[in-house]
Amino acid sequence: MTQIELRNVNKHFGSVHVINNVNLTVADREFVVFLGQSGCGKTTTLRAIAGLETIDSGEILIGGAPVQNLRPEARDVAFVFQSFALYPHLTVFENMAFPLRAVRMATGEIDSTVRRVAGVLQIGNLLKRRPSALSGGDLQRVAIGRALVRNPKAMLMDEPIGSLDAKLREEMRVELKRLHVEQGSTTIYVTHDQIEAMALADRIVVMHAGVLQQVGTPEQVYADPVNLFVAQFVGSPVMNVVDVTVQDGRVVIPGAEGLSFPPALMTQLGGKRELSFGIRPEALDLALTPTEGFVAAEAHIIEPLGSHDIIDLRVGQALLRARVRSGFVAKAGTPVWLRADAGRAHFFDRATGASLGVRL
Amino acid sequence: MAHIELRGVFKRFGSVTALSDINLDIPDGQFFVLLGETGAGKTTTLRVVAGLDKPQGGQVLIDGQDVTGWGAAERDVALVLQQYSLYPRYTVRQNLEFPLKSPMRRVAAAAIAERIAKVSRTLRIEHLMDRKTDRLSGGEMQRVSIGRAIVRNPKVFLMDEPLSALDAKLRESLRAELKDLQMSLGETFLFVTHDQVEAMSMGDRIGVLNRGVLVQVGTPADIYARPVNTFVARAVGAPAMNLLPGRQEDGADLGDGRTLPLAGEAGRAVIFGVRPEDLEIGGAGIEARVTDVENHGVEKIVTLQAGPHRVRATVPVTVQVRAAEMVRLGWNPARVHVFDAETGRNLRF
Repeated sequence: MTQIELRNVNKHFGSVHVINNVNLTVADREFVVFLGQSGCGKTTTLRAIAGLETIDSGEILIGGAPVQNLRPEARDVAFVFQSFALYPHLTVFENMAFPLRAVRMATGEIDSTVRRVAGVLQIGNLLKRRPSALSGGDLQRVAIGRALVRNPKAMLMDEPIGSLDAKLREEMRVELKRLHVEQGSTTIYVTHDQIEAMALADRIVVMHAGVLQQVGTPEQVYADPVNLFVAQFVGSPVMNVVDVTVQDGRVVIPGAEGLSFPPALMTQLGGKRELSFGIRPEALDLALTPTEGFVAAEAHIIEPLGSHDIIDLRVGQALLRARVRSGFVAKAGTPVWLRADAGRAHFFDRATGASLGVRL
Repeated sequence: MAHIELRGVFKRFGSVTALSDINLDIPDGQFFVLLGETGAGKTTTLRVVAGLDKPQGGQVLIDGQDVTGWGAAERDVALVLQQYSLYPRYTVRQNLEFPLKSPMRRVAAAAIAERIAKVSRTLRIEHLMDRKTDRLSGGEMQRVSIGRAIVRNPKVFLMDEPLSALDAKLRESLRAELKDLQMSLGETFLFVTHDQVEAMSMGDRIGVLNRGVLVQVGTPADIYARPVNTFVARAVGAPAMNLLPGRQEDGADLGDGRTLPLAGEAGRAVIFGVRPEDLEIGGAGIEARVTDVENHGVEKIVTLQAGPHRVRATVPVTVQVRAAEMVRLGWNPARVHVFDAETGRNLRF
């Protein structure tokens, strides 16, 4: 049972508040991903849990026991870095055996442990090689293997596949998840890549400027973002956000006709006049002929991605991106008509960026 | 304004053939993308067009004129690289002025100011003009390098992975910006990348390079829907096309009782290819076990084990599937590919 808990954790680097009163509970066997831009405090938080950074105030509990004053080695957590940090002069076997030799495990036991873990990671055939003779993906497998042999209470990973190329990243993603399902160790994983976060996480923690913005399942974070930051950080292409005004029961984009929504939605907006309207590219419906309830627009750039197209649409003064099936709009300049799916419309406060919670 | 043509271009470095017999025709005003992995020869092709490398054989023509023997400066092409290579001690304005102040092309001071004003407006860097370039973010620096290429009004724009060093969000927005720029300038762009999303989204036409050979040239839709071989099939689309080795029996069975008439004897080894979005979960088809489900919000990527094969399918988020579940896997018979196992050649399209 390894539950990790952060209580009111704060840390400053000089005048910068890098971890701002963070409270979080990671359940036993859970896979939690810290997602954010560089400099948002995600890595610092991870390092604080590992004991590689001190904290100014608050408590960190691993398995129910406060550890904030313990040294890293006493916390019994494993850390995997983006730079693999393997010993170049040692073979794969010796790299993986290193932490076990350090605690003077019996030779026979070391051998069987390393081989078992190597089997899980499918690197059993590489044990005699040196790191210089391995590909990037294999290097990271070895680094993960070295973390696993100790059977740590928790795995902490800092962008472990960030330096691999796109195809390999996709493969390693599936493998990391399989590994987590098999091993079941509590894992905290740091990344700036929202695709990785969506693919791997049981729960995603979105961080910005040292503050937890939202904690939720990938579905929750995608479908119900609490503010503009989360809305535009998760999802690709990013969620369209435009400043709109509400007039006569319609949502008006400057320079365009008003978008109509069911009364059930409009009444929730109450007296609000000026707000930000958010809609994901796949929640825009397009028509090639004038259609009742649709707003006129013009197709601009078309990005054909094979499985679907992304189209930039000029709607009044705004530019919206829509996801449609391949070849739906023939070429740039074509007039089209669009409608926003009311069930997937988002409204945000223009000043604070907070979601108004107005949903159908 | 330029029409670029390569005729039988051949280039080797020592014993390595970097480019073998490249024939390429890029009409004026086209956004052409060369797509390939590291070492495929795409940068070499670009350097040959720029005049930075001399081919051992073949011709390079710009606007019908043979420029093979010309130096880089004489060709009037602009090159934008992945590394920004801006002058760090200069301001943005000084960096932009630099190519215009070259003794090789005298430009009047008023004309310089006018051109720089126009370029900075186009690239939305007006507010940065008096900053030193080492005070800029990656995206801003890349805009300035593109700006420095534009001010000269070159005939051709050559770009070598200009977006690769930027983070994902920035890449996405600069992609659209660059395409927009090319459309408004109406100039010829030759753009090199290893990123298939960039190639698909920006290119009017794509050339796929593999080990110095131009494997296929076509529109993005063409390359995606009708790849000539397994290499091209795997080069575009993410997740990549599923390729399953099989054997031809009485034509190729497409799983719904339809067979594909194929020449050649029965028993010939073939590869069956189907894209993740053309697979459907449920219905009649082969049995498979779900090993992983990734929910990406807009769609789910499902990894399945079908007999000895691992396949990936993309399905709408509304489809409910769970890991370890057994499902039936069907496919869209109109969209499957059959490749020759030996040569990898597409037998269907």
